[in-house]
Amino acid sequence: MEQDKNPCEDRETRAVLAHASAPQLAPGAMDRLMARIATEPQQAEVIPFAPRPRATFWRYAAAAPLAASLALGVWLGANGKMDFVMPSAVTGGLALNDEAPVDDLGGVGDAYAEEGLT
Amino acid sequence: MSDAGLLKAAAGGSHAAFAEIASRHYQPVYRLVWRMTNGAADAEDMAQEAFVKLWQNPAQVREAAALKGWLMRVAANAAIDRSRKPRGAALDEAPEVADPQARPDAPLDREQAARLVDARIAALPERQRLALSLVYFEGLSNIEAAAVLEVSVDALESLLARARRGLKESLSAGWRELLGGLAETGQ
Repeated sequence: MEQDKNPCEDRETRAVLAHASAPQLAPGAMDRLMARIATEPQQAEVIPFAPRPRATFWRYAAAAPLAASLALGVWLGANGKMDFVMPSAVTGGLALNDEAPVDDLGGVGDAYAEEGLT
Repeated sequence: MSDAGLLKAAAGGSHAAFAEIASRHYQPVYRLVWRMTNGAADAEDMAQEAFVKLWQNPAQVREAAALKGWLMRVAANAAIDRSRKPRGAALDEAPEVADPQARPDAPLDREQAARLVDARIAALPERQRLALSLVYFEGLSNIEAAAVLEVSVDALESLLARARRGLKESLSAGWRELLGGLAETGQ
């Protein structure tokens, strides 16, 4: 046991407390405890397993509009149907100029600024 | 087998393992409850209750090494709850403690000294009484006792200091007389 910060007071206290009664376990206490334990059920430790519900067709339905949107975007972009809303620097000759230097990315930001688009 | 092994076996429903746990820890838990309740008739019930809680769900003890502390905490909380509940003055719950200091000239015999010290301990505030019981009667270290009380070691030491002071003040003249044996043996 750790000693107290005041050893004298600690020693005196121990000496005084040595006069206190020493509680004695009543005869048969352990037997009574074990008899009680025998009647007490234990709580199940197992957490009830709740299986996830099987995915239904409708759980995948949310993906359909997203997929359709992507397909439409690809189709529109590939066919140039929406080029009129884009700056010419992106869709015009400069952007499609194969001979342009690799680092010439077409100045997209400048193109938007020139055409007053945001 | 270690407490951890016994707890595991008890969690599996082993009465033998639980009996071993009880044989190791029932006495100190009972003594603590007895001290907290000043020897109330239902001290055994409260100690038993702590063990029943353990049996019902041994997995609730997170650290098997601290099993004794866990049992003591549960039992002490039960004792404190009991002391806070208003109840009728049952005859068996109001032990008559004759105050030997009523006749200060009479020397204390052993039984009187025991009753006097018991009564003064019982008069301490419950947390001070618990701290005192854990450290001085059950021999727990300050760290272990602080864990049972769920306070810092500094807070425990403060509780102990106040308990010692309170005990000394309440015993007043009896303190010196009780220390007589210490002086005689030169400790």
